[in-house]
Amino acid sequence: MNFFAVLLKESINSATPILLAALGGAFTYYANVFNIAMEGMMLTGAYFGVIGSYFFGSWAIGLLFAIISSIILSTLFSFFAVYLHSDEFVTGIAINMLALGGTTYLLRSTFHVKGAFISSKIISIPSWKIPFLDHIPLLGKVISGYSAIVYIGFLLAIIVDIVIFHTSFGLRLRATGEEEVATRSLGINPLTVKFISAVLSGLFCGIAGAFLSLGYINLFSENMSNGRGWISLTIIILVKARPLGILLLSLLFGFFGALGVMLQNSSIPPQFTSMAPYIATLFALYVYSKQKRKGSL
Amino acid sequence: MSRFRKFIVGILGLIVGLILSILIVKMQGKSPLEVYKALFGYSLGSLLSIISTLNAATPLILTGLSAAMAWDAGAINLGQPGQFLIGAITAALLGIYLPFPVWISIPLILIGAAAAGALWSGLAAFFRQKYNMDEFVSTLMLNFIAEYFTTYLVTYPFLDPKAYVASTTAIRKAFTLATPDQFNKGIYLAVLVAIFTWWIVKRWGIGYEWHMIGLNQRFAAVGGCKTERDYSLAMLYSGALSGLAGGILILGGTQHRFMKGIGGNFGWDGVMLAMIANNDVIMTVIFAFFFGALKAGGIGMEFDTSVPSEFILVIEAIIVISVVATRATIDLYGGKLKALVKTRRVVKNS
Repeated sequence: MNFFAVLLKESINSATPILLAALGGAFTYYANVFNIAMEGMMLTGAYFGVIGSYFFGSWAIGLLFAIISSIILSTLFSFFAVYLHSDEFVTGIAINMLALGGTTYLLRSTFHVKGAFISSKIISIPSWKIPFLDHIPLLGKVISGYSAIVYIGFLLAIIVDIVIFHTSFGLRLRATGEEEVATRSLGINPLTVKFISAVLSGLFCGIAGAFLSLGYINLFSENMSNGRGWISLTIIILVKARPLGILLLSLLFGFFGALGVMLQNSSIPPQFTSMAPYIATLFALYVYSKQKRKGSL
Repeated sequence: MSRFRKFIVGILGLIVGLILSILIVKMQGKSPLEVYKALFGYSLGSLLSIISTLNAATPLILTGLSAAMAWDAGAINLGQPGQFLIGAITAALLGIYLPFPVWISIPLILIGAAAAGALWSGLAAFFRQKYNMDEFVSTLMLNFIAEYFTTYLVTYPFLDPKAYVASTTAIRKAFTLATPDQFNKGIYLAVLVAIFTWWIVKRWGIGYEWHMIGLNQRFAAVGGCKTERDYSLAMLYSGALSGLAGGILILGGTQHRFMKGIGGNFGWDGVMLAMIANNDVIMTVIFAFFFGALKAGGIGMEFDTSVPSEFILVIEAIIVISVVATRATIDLYGGKLKALVKTRRVVKNS
């Protein structure tokens, strides 16, 4: 396959987990919950995805495990941050630490391995070949043959946009974020809305985690989310959580991630190519801050 | 919050955390009594255990203070892991190549490590001041960049070809701060720095200004605090503390070299310490010793009970969550109770 086709394919693959997590984070963003636990939710999802898939021999159960575990973590987060009014920032970081420590510990106590768990018994999420399109040379290779979650991710970007901007739930969500007291006067419990938004972000992060460990590659390694949750959070801030903006920026970050992977065989040391997404994040933040200042003048 | 109340909240959270971890151990089918006996024995049970507790506490004091000082001033520095690594690699390289006698080299290495850490956090402060970029995101991204950068340095230019993992060669023997029985003398420096930090916070104008800015930046600015200068100084000081932690680990640790993955979780542990201590200097130091004991005990626990030492990470996170939740609960219901009592009194009097 030609270099650019591979690059494109690789970009879409590495954009998917970032996209999914950021779409989930969009709900909490509009509900005015500062959700920085996405990194931990994704990691937990990735681990339990492998657990489900390995022990039950089915990717569907893996996906289910990933979603449930991630939702449990997000419930924990919202219990503290929403209902007990604990500091969202501190709670989120603590949840991330719990996810990192917990998965590392469980990896060792369950599989007795350090670093990574690889097994042929981990059933991966099947890839879909789109009929007809698959046979078109080149284009078929680029559009068809991804893991099912990739297509779902793109579809969800549109669905999330509709839900947030064109449904009554979306209106309530945004109203809660804008003016909590006013929504209370209309008979909506803002705490419930915030709680639902956190659970939704858990759901999306769980799917993102399952994609990491069952979709793209077929293993679990320590801290395998590797900052993707943070990048998602940055994207949310940059595009003010517009789902279609999230889609575009995720693809851009996916491109940088893919570039890092593709250049690994070149003469550039792999450590530098791996830095690409993080440097890109810094650069995006720079552009954003510059524009924001221009706007405020 | 008064220190006494902070302390009580910390202890309450600690107890909740320990109870929860007992339940987890039970659920895994292991005996909690044995686990805690091992934890205690290997952290405080003998002179050797106490030494390893103190050694683990040394970097924790500094990374904990690093997080506490930045946050107290309202600077969201989450770059402790990166600043730690940059400090450590600087110390390792200076330790190999500095040609000067010992009495001048060791201070130079430690100053170099602190300066390197400050440079790394200073980068984020610069981004913030010059381009208005959130330091919360930039310090996180700089962590990843530091990790890959140091890995590059020990994989290619400074690789020790004889080592079985990616690492530099060992520093000069004379520069080591460890005694023959592996006690890291760097702890004296860490405690001195902690006292100095406490002094800044309590007695120096800048310490007061930091705290005021942390409480309310605009109000502090109106009151005459130089917020921009103070912000940069807080970031630099915070980075220097983390860098110094890395330097001390290289000089006084057991490896005497920079290897991939060195320092493990010390940076993030510091972040958790500051959270438990609610940015209080003395509390951070106290909890650093406690976390040090957990870390030292964790390695022994793995020997005795086959519970992986990673379990300590879980206990730490549970403790943080319980402390934060306890604090929030007390604030929430304590505040409601206070309001209730006050209204009652007002109603009665009228």
